[in-house]
Amino acid sequence: MTTTTVLQDVAKVGSPRKRGANLWSTFPWPLLPFFLFLALFFFLPIGAVFINSFKNNDGAFTFENIQALFHDPYRMAFLNSIKLGFYSALTASIPGVLLALAIEKKGGKNLKKFIASVSGVLANTGGVPLAFMFLAAFGPSGLATNLFKSLGLDLYSLGFTLFSFNGLLIVYSYFQIPIMIIVFTPALTALRREWRDASSNLGSTPLGYWRHVGLPILAPSFIASFLLLFASAFSAFGTARAMTVGNIALVPLQIGSLLDGNVTIDKANLGYSLALGMIVISLLAMIPYILLQKRASRWQVR
Amino acid sequence: MMNFRKNLDANIALAIAAIFLFLPLIAATEFSLRDGGTEKHSLISYRWILDQSGFSENLGITMRVMALAVILTLVLMVPTVTWLHLGGEKYKRLIDVLTMLPLIIPVVALATGAQLALPGFVHGTVYELSFLYVVVSMPYTYRALDIGMSARPLATLVAAARNLGASWINVMLRVIVPSILPSIFAALFMTITLSLGEFTLAQLLHWNTFPTWITNISQQNILGATALAVGSLFFAWVLLYIFTFLDRQPTQSAVNEE
Amino acid sequence: MGNSLKIEGLSRNFGSVIALDDFSLTIKKGELVSLLGPSGCGKTTALRIVAGLERASSGEITLNDKKITDVPAHKRNMGMVFQSYSLFPHLTIEENVAFGLQMRREPKEKRIGKAGELLELVGLTTQHKRFPHQLSGGQQQRVALARALAIQPEVLLLDEPLSALDAQVRQNLREEIRRLQVELNTTTLFVTHDQEEAMAISDRVGVMSHGKLEQIDTPDELYNRPATLFVASFIGAMNRIPTQLKDGEVEVLGEKHSVKNHNEKDGNVTALIRPESIELLHDSTYHNAVVVTRSFLGASSRITVRIGDGSILQSLMPSSDSMELHPGDLVQAVITDKKVLITNA
Repeated sequence: MTTTTVLQDVAKVGSPRKRGANLWSTFPWPLLPFFLFLALFFFLPIGAVFINSFKNNDGAFTFENIQALFHDPYRMAFLNSIKLGFYSALTASIPGVLLALAIEKKGGKNLKKFIASVSGVLANTGGVPLAFMFLAAFGPSGLATNLFKSLGLDLYSLGFTLFSFNGLLIVYSYFQIPIMIIVFTPALTALRREWRDASSNLGSTPLGYWRHVGLPILAPSFIASFLLLFASAFSAFGTARAMTVGNIALVPLQIGSLLDGNVTIDKANLGYSLALGMIVISLLAMIPYILLQKRASRWQVR
Repeated sequence: MMNFRKNLDANIALAIAAIFLFLPLIAATEFSLRDGGTEKHSLISYRWILDQSGFSENLGITMRVMALAVILTLVLMVPTVTWLHLGGEKYKRLIDVLTMLPLIIPVVALATGAQLALPGFVHGTVYELSFLYVVVSMPYTYRALDIGMSARPLATLVAAARNLGASWINVMLRVIVPSILPSIFAALFMTITLSLGEFTLAQLLHWNTFPTWITNISQQNILGATALAVGSLFFAWVLLYIFTFLDRQPTQSAVNEE
Repeated sequence: MGNSLKIEGLSRNFGSVIALDDFSLTIKKGELVSLLGPSGCGKTTALRIVAGLERASSGEITLNDKKITDVPAHKRNMGMVFQSYSLFPHLTIEENVAFGLQMRREPKEKRIGKAGELLELVGLTTQHKRFPHQLSGGQQQRVALARALAIQPEVLLLDEPLSALDAQVRQNLREEIRRLQVELNTTTLFVTHDQEEAMAISDRVGVMSHGKLEQIDTPDELYNRPATLFVASFIGAMNRIPTQLKDGEVEVLGEKHSVKNHNEKDGNVTALIRPESIELLHDSTYHNAVVVTRSFLGASSRITVRIGDGSILQSLMPSSDSMELHPGDLVQAVITDKKVLITNA
């Protein structure tokens, strides 16, 4: 799946195309069902979030819900979620790239097929099932914990716990690393052997090849993949809900409990402004990518 | 042997990854086979799953939601992507971007909005999930179909079929669909895995589906919940295996090699 | 002028497949030598080993009397042009050409100056700020050539650089490669599967088959005195006529001919005759062939005839002499060579 190349398109859409005078005759009618579907089941709900973020309980216009985002506990939750998204992207993208490189180096067609199918399944794990698998392995009496204990390494006496920010990072990496492998492998495959040969032929060391050729060419895809990982960890709900016991404030969890009606009624519309905040941050996260892509689009063949 | 040493770094990386991958899996499998608090192993936890009254009921709901999502994906996405490749090329970039949005906008936010506003004919029924699943899996289904169609000379095939007197319906069903069948399977597989495991939308819109049911009963029986986790993961694997098998048969061999 | 590149006893096997078998070759300073052969004959493997991109199982490479067998590729100072797509896509044309100098830590002004100089040599001065994908295939290969020459290489290595181009561009570029190579007096090893290309621009051509060098000689010698049957049939078209060798003579098309190569034993042999050595006489009273087809090629025409035993021969004649030949015509096929080449295979 070349999700990264699509992201590259996101960055490229420029000014709206000039429309002819007669909209009726130029409208792409075959796309009408698609546009309608997306309008009703995507833009309508997202628009509703936007509008309701600015309403109080009586339906009157207000900035209160938005202002609340800049105060604890919501401010804290946003900071935590952004941190979680960023660190999870960091801790998953680097091993993911190394693994993708290792797979590429080993080559074999069957290995690649196997990895692709394993990654496909693991990228979709999450929630309670994933939490229980990790509990069975790394929980206080888990298989791996006991194994380390018998080797003389007591993880939990060293302060390790799954139910912490770092624990969350480890659990997330179980689906984040496979996502990274899936989205980054096509970019690696597109690196041509001729480039490596030419660079060493022209006097460049293997390190120089990566510095001057490999990394610059891969950078847009890497940033795109990183962004995807960020978005995935930033907004992960099921796994966070299963792994935390109210000890880490995260925006998706706060939205969840607000929607569940577990909160006093005067905050009813706060859930919408929290959701709007998430949307805005997700879109802001695209900016560095768009800037990089602007530069890269000069040389990319599309 | 020499080959192994040459790829030493790659082999070490893959070995570490395999340990990280299999440790939770093995641990969970072992855990799920425990007989109560004892050291003995049995299938008791798996039997417990089947005894739960909600099992078949919630699995049934998920299956129906999934079926509708699959049908919607087929009916909506296949003609749309086909048209983009046969005359609608100038809209391709726009659609590329639109289909990417569901990946960027958090599902939690979509769920929040879906609670507020959805078209009346599905709002308030469990099948609203199907429509939302189509949207959430769209980045993947669209890509799968797009890649599949880019690899085929669709315009030529259609011109040839039309030239031989085929109607548009016939062209669609007998020319286009068969020639991109593997990518249709790939697209549907995305919808299916998403529908089987989706938790966020179902939970936030207060529907009982198989994943929310697993989450709820996990509080009653930890061993049973682990058994469920292991069981559903292997189920997904089997499903994926079947799909890659289907995927391989028609094209991958001869046609792709050219 | 001394020897520039010396390759001795190079072998390479991939598992049980022998890609290169005891391959030796010496190239003089400023000489252009081609390696010619069908795909899989080992020519590219030989080139890549010389470049240091692959390792030989055994054998030695010497450059200017220095052993370089174990020198890594990036220290060999050899410029290489690949089949296609070898330009770095994220660098401008100028930056591509200057890449080798950048790796050698030359100052920026010098890099740009040198790149400009080479781009002028290949006629692409106005394109220097463009990116590779904005150039045509032929232009890209010119840039690749400039990039390889920018490092002032001891040896220029060309790995089928023309095979992805259109016929017209291919012909122009090959002349240009030769012009530059002569002008700069660069020792060059050129790998190709296109015999016309190899024959047109090389000082010497080495014909390879199954990892072995069958024969290495000037284009004229290869054409006129092929050492093996493989070379004979690979270089140019060749008619093969089964016959018998007796007392240094063979009978072909009813006439006796002495043989060029006397080292064959008496018995069953095959006579090898070039199409241009077969003349068809229309008004002769003696007929030994019937015209099957005639294709007009311009100054000359190719005529196929069927002879008595049913086999087909090709003749290449001036078009003006063959205008009257039509399919079905009875003719006399005559071999114009005094001596013919035979093989006992």
